[in-house]
Amino acid sequence: MISLGSYLAISFALFISGIIVMIARKNIIAMLLGIELILNASALNFVAYTKFSNNNLDGHIMSLFIIVIAAAEAAVGLGIVIRFFQLRESIHIDDAATLQN
Amino acid sequence: MDYTIATIAPIVLLPFFAFVINAFIVKKFTNLAVAISTGAIFVSFLFALRIFLDFMNVYSVGYYIHKTFTWFDLSAGSHIFKVNMGIYIDNMTSVMLLMVTGAATLIHVFSTWYMHDDPRFGRFFVYLSLFTSAMLGLVLSDNLLSVFIFWEIMGFCSYSLIGFYYEKEGAGNASMKAFMTTRVGDVFFLLGILAIWSVVGSASFVDIYNAIAAGKFSNMYALGIPLATFAAFSVFMGTMGKSAQVPLQVWLPDAMWGPTPCSALIHAATMVAAGVYLSLRMYPLMELGHLLPFIALIGGITAFGAATIALVQTDIKAVLAYSTISQLGYMVIGIGVGSYNAAFMHLITHAVFKACLFLSAGSVIHSIHCQEMPQMGGLRKKLPYTFFAMLLCCFAIAGVPFFSGFVSKDRILGDALVMAFSNPIYIPVAILGFGGAFLTAFYMFRMLFLTFFGDPRDHHIYDHAHNEHLGWNSNIPLLILAVFTLGLFYSGSFTGQGEVNLFGSKNEWFSTLIHKPDIASLHHFAEFQSEDFGAVDTRDKLDLPKATYDENHGMSEEEAHHVHQIHHVGAIASIIIAFSGIFLAFSMYVKKSINPGWWTETFAAWTRALKGKYYFDDLYVGKIIQKGLIPFNNLLANFDMGIYDKYAVDGWAAINRFAYTVSRWFDNNVIDSGMVDGTGASVRFMNVILRTIQSGKIQLYFMVLIFVLASYVLTLRF
Amino acid sequence: MFTNTLFLLSAVLTLGGAAAVVYTKNLMHSCVYLLASLFGVAGLYACIGADFLAATQLVVYAGGVVILMLFAVMLTGGSGNNINRYGLEKITAMGNTKTFFMAGLTAVVTSLVILKILASVFKSHSATVLTANEATVDKLGTLLATDHILAFEISSVLLLGALVGAAVISRPRKEKHD
Repeated sequence: MISLGSYLAISFALFISGIIVMIARKNIIAMLLGIELILNASALNFVAYTKFSNNNLDGHIMSLFIIVIAAAEAAVGLGIVIRFFQLRESIHIDDAATLQN
Repeated sequence: MDYTIATIAPIVLLPFFAFVINAFIVKKFTNLAVAISTGAIFVSFLFALRIFLDFMNVYSVGYYIHKTFTWFDLSAGSHIFKVNMGIYIDNMTSVMLLMVTGAATLIHVFSTWYMHDDPRFGRFFVYLSLFTSAMLGLVLSDNLLSVFIFWEIMGFCSYSLIGFYYEKEGAGNASMKAFMTTRVGDVFFLLGILAIWSVVGSASFVDIYNAIAAGKFSNMYALGIPLATFAAFSVFMGTMGKSAQVPLQVWLPDAMWGPTPCSALIHAATMVAAGVYLSLRMYPLMELGHLLPFIALIGGITAFGAATIALVQTDIKAVLAYSTISQLGYMVIGIGVGSYNAAFMHLITHAVFKACLFLSAGSVIHSIHCQEMPQMGGLRKKLPYTFFAMLLCCFAIAGVPFFSGFVSKDRILGDALVMAFSNPIYIPVAILGFGGAFLTAFYMFRMLFLTFFGDPRDHHIYDHAHNEHLGWNSNIPLLILAVFTLGLFYSGSFTGQGEVNLFGSKNEWFSTLIHKPDIASLHHFAEFQSEDFGAVDTRDKLDLPKATYDENHGMSEEEAHHVHQIHHVGAIASIIIAFSGIFLAFSMYVKKSINPGWWTETFAAWTRALKGKYYFDDLYVGKIIQKGLIPFNNLLANFDMGIYDKYAVDGWAAINRFAYTVSRWFDNNVIDSGMVDGTGASVRFMNVILRTIQSGKIQLYFMVLIFVLASYVLTLRF
Repeated sequence: MFTNTLFLLSAVLTLGGAAAVVYTKNLMHSCVYLLASLFGVAGLYACIGADFLAATQLVVYAGGVVILMLFAVMLTGGSGNNINRYGLEKITAMGNTKTFFMAGLTAVVTSLVILKILASVFKSHSATVLTANEATVDKLGTLLATDHILAFEISSVLLLGALVGAAVISRPRKEKHD
């Protein structure tokens, strides 16, 4: 039951969910949620492979760094969102279609 | 010491670079430009001096430097057409280089004083630099083509300098006249070059000498006359234009419109001498073409005729101008009577004393602001240094013993006398020569006495004249030149017979250095070799036997004795003639025992003719130009307007109009509507499609990214 | 048995959370469902012996990221902001028809690609034997302090930079020309 295949299937489902959220949602924060899902899917892949394939801890370390990066990304991304909201009174992604003004 | 391009080329290039630099900076940095010009020519002078000293003291007599390079090569198959340029330095060139650079240096220095208050002070030096470099290039040239190029550059410089005061109408006209008159000679010169090229296949002096020695000119005819005669005559026409020989002498007096220092440099010392120099270089051709009697006759007529005109001139520069023509006539006589050495020597001595005379005249004009001799007089006390220099020069030009003019002119006249005894065709030449010598002494001292002696005739001018002070750039050049009018610098002795070894190794250096290139003895050119630039000269330049002064000039003892007797007669005659001319001038203008007015009244028709310069100008303007050239011109104009314009030009216009209609239709319909607008439309269409991609919507970008990634993975895996 | 139960629960939680994130209309609810999904992932970590990772996942995501998200949602006025301005809400939980269609298309393409890759994995690793789990904290600490020290330090600098950057970016600025 606990096998590489099942883990990869779960991670695949997470990944697809993330992609759908990123493309379909028009809310910037919702898109950030999708990114979190995708990052989790990849981290899960690392851990599963390191357990079932070579049984050392390198995958864990990689997942740790992914978590770190996800945290940093969330902080900066949300900062940008808040700033954007201050400027535009909106968090709709189509309001961010221009580079200037 | 081998000379290479690095040690020869600066002589020409320094003044040329000075010209190029000055042409740009002259407006803002006038004084710097003047300093550059003067410095450049002075450095050139040092180079020339070293070459001269090497040629006189170190090298053997027959040594020469000849370095060539291929300018362009149009050879096709077996047809060789190669134009070489190069440098040719022999003894004559080295002397000429020293004279040109030396005179030019002193005249540059003098000009810094003379032209200082002129508004175009700097521009004058620009022209002087260009002129000097062209003259030096001409002297160094090894072939007639580059001679011709530099010849024309000098013609241009002469044109610019004669017209230097272009605000005056006379100056502009004079410059045009000079340019047009010399152009007549130049066209003939070019024709001569072509004629020579057609036989020799090269314009190099050396190749021409070789061709003459090999007899290539025999049995060649052009227009029914021997080609050698034709070529020699054409080249001599160039000389006649440049050196102002009858009948092309009319430009030189008018050239006096230019500033006096440029008259000294160009129209007295160097450029007009270039014509004589060319004839000397082409002497074997002249001899081959049997042109010498003609040359001598032209020279005699010029020498005497110009001297007679000089008698009645009142403008101090005009006297000097006619004196220049007359002296150039003596050089041409020298060529004509085969007195090669003496003709060249007269070229050098004349350059020195005539430059000095012109500078003295410039000094006079600068101090009293007037050129008319009747308004001068008594300037001796005000201008002592100028007076001293001019006195020495007048002695020299009049042929007083111990002065340079005596040494050179006496030899020319002596040789003329010798030729007259052997060939009656030369008798008029000798008579004209001696008569001219008498007149020369007379009019030069007339000028000197009118200017410096007696009481001031115009007190207003006299009182305003500046008192002369010794200045490095006003009097010193005059005095230096005046010192070199002494005969011993040229003959090596006081008597002209070479007992005193003034210059060490070679006594009578002029006679030992300068040799007539005899057609019979041209063999040393036949074994001539020339090097590429930079190649080391392997020829023996020291161990050839040093020539000594041959008193007999290669003649037998008896013949030489005869010649010497005639020479002695000639020398004594010319001394008597010189002194009698001086005495006549003295009694007319200082003692006033003879009234010159009586002469002018008695020979009124002659005086009018002289004042009218023998009506040459009237002849040219009135007869040739008005009666001949202008009707011909009108005829050509009618042809041009009536036939060429009407049918050829207008017909062509009609054809063009039709072509225009057709091409306009094509242009409007095919090019404009089809291609140009089509391009725009297609761009607009593509723009509509492609613009949707660039929407700025990040989700679309993300999708595209994923699709690209997916396709990449798919292609990688399957 | 316990491990299998945990795995099943975690998998259901993960997939259900993810599906709810996709599906939910309300952004606030989405965040909460994301939290559930992340909890499920932590359970999945724990099932294969990644105890330290599971704890980190709980602490960082549940305690940090999701709280941050909720703050952001609340700071920007919740999910109802301008909700109909672009014709949203026509389809449940999605933006609009066009984006839904595109997202579906992209998901199908991506699924095809990934499944094609996974097919070989399923075949080859079907019989992998699960090894015994043991504590990983001390080993991870050693590894981070020795082999991966450089990456560790760089990530700390990255976090610091992100901290400062987020503060600077979101700081309210006064208009210069007021």
